[in-house]
Amino acid sequence: MSETLALTVETKPEELSRIAEAVEDLGSRMDWPPAVVFRVNLVLEEVSINIMNYAYDDGLHEFEITFTAEPDALTIEVVDDGRPFDPLSDALQPDVDAAIEDRSIGGLGIHLVKTMVDELSYRRERGKNRLTLVSRIGE
Amino acid sequence: MQTEWEWKDEAIVARVDGRVDGANAREFQQGLAAVIKASAGAVLLDMEKLSYISSAGLRVVLLAAKELRTQGSKFAICSLSASILEVFKISGFDQIVQIYGSQDEALAALNG
Repeated sequence: MSETLALTVETKPEELSRIAEAVEDLGSRMDWPPAVVFRVNLVLEEVSINIMNYAYDDGLHEFEITFTAEPDALTIEVVDDGRPFDPLSDALQPDVDAAIEDRSIGGLGIHLVKTMVDELSYRRERGKNRLTLVSRIGE
Repeated sequence: MQTEWEWKDEAIVARVDGRVDGANAREFQQGLAAVIKASAGAVLLDMEKLSYISSAGLRVVLLAAKELRTQGSKFAICSLSASILEVFKISGFDQIVQIYGSQDEALAALNG
């Protein structure tokens, strides 16, 4: 059994709870363990917040999230038409070993995403950022 | 999400529940600011009822840890779920904040 779900999201933080609800509904239909729901929620929030905060100079914009859920893997594609941003090469690399005085939060969200998904790929195509995240279920 | 707190001996125990995300991290920050202001020596943040935290919430925890350190107070966190503990470890926060399995264990260390 597989399921595809597409969400159109506006660039405002109130949308985060709607994304989380969609993930929780999908997770319960696909019977994901709570730890998988948590991870999917987290990576999607970090990616979405990045778009909301940095992809556009001003105004309200929309971006697309598409889930393709299969029994053993979840693929999420996030597409926005904001400024080019490749999280694999453009994100700050946080120093997760620094002392507390020297610690900053910059880049931590993307670091979490990179660590918590199994595959991450980026393309800039026809003026759009296309980020594909794959999370294998049940490992 | 709510942040409530009470005194236990010399320490303030702050309990946060529900979800801390990019939409409500500011409220969490305000809740902790009140705790930091009232504190005199030690703060324990109990996450037993916290179901979710993202980098927006980690930022608030980091700011609180820095501020408490500056004012010479002790700071610890306890009762993290397995998923939240994983987020703390990936972020390297387990190296800058003392993490305990239970409130009793944490209070023994803070008040001891």
